[in-house]
Amino acid sequence: MAITVSLTRIYSFSAAHRLNSETLDERKNIEVYDKCNNPQGHGHNYKIELTVTGRPDPDTGMIISRTLLDKKVKSLLHKLNYKHLDNEVSYFKDKISSGENIVQYLWDQLDTHIGGKMLYHLKLWETNNNSFELGR
Amino acid sequence: MQNNVTLTRKFEFSASHRYWNEKWSKDENEKIFGHNTSPYGHGHNYDLYVTVSGPISEETGMIINLSELKKIVNEILLEFDHKYLNLDTPYFKDKIPTTENLALVLFDLIGKKLAGYKSLILKRIRLYVTQDAYADVWQDT
Repeated sequence: MAITVSLTRIYSFSAAHRLNSETLDERKNIEVYDKCNNPQGHGHNYKIELTVTGRPDPDTGMIISRTLLDKKVKSLLHKLNYKHLDNEVSYFKDKISSGENIVQYLWDQLDTHIGGKMLYHLKLWETNNNSFELGR
Repeated sequence: MQNNVTLTRKFEFSASHRYWNEKWSKDENEKIFGHNTSPYGHGHNYDLYVTVSGPISEETGMIINLSELKKIVNEILLEFDHKYLNLDTPYFKDKIPTTENLALVLFDLIGKKLAGYKSLILKRIRLYVTQDAYADVWQDT
């Protein structure tokens, strides 16, 4: 039986967005996205739970340096924090800024930034009641 | 076939610790561990979630009696609660008392105590060091 240890850090960012699909007409967009389709947008306090796994380094006792991890994550979140996702983040110019797509964006970016396939799980809270997850 | 059910109970304890690697200079230690190097240590209120898994007993309707689980884990935590982890416990003489290492130690101790309970396994523990950081330890069966 293999024992695994992981470390999870929680971060937050706040951003505005609007769910609207170019391929659907106005009526259908309202039907699908309801209040999230509000023309002027709306915002959330997003929270992410980021989990890394690996063997703790014998010198530091840590899977990854907390300072380094924070630096990497915060530099990415800085691009989203206090922004309008659809208008100010190029990834969402032609992609709907749904929780599913945001968690996929964060996963791809963070997996590259952190490297070594250490990123194990990512959970994105859009509100206290909605969350989206991706994992290995 | 009977399904296994998991049960999780939360525990709390408070302890202090210090991150310091004797092999490194003061500057190196401070670079890696930041304010965790303060010579007198600092402390946390840890939240520990213990998850066990097993079949439901037909007699009791339980996987394990919760008061029994509480007793077992609390006895283990006595060694850590209101202690300075580096000096008051034997586990961190050659290991840094990080959340990861503390979780591994607790998983080992709790797992050994529960080993006597037939068909019950320690599935996972989750140790919160602050509200925004926690370590999980689990075993793949």
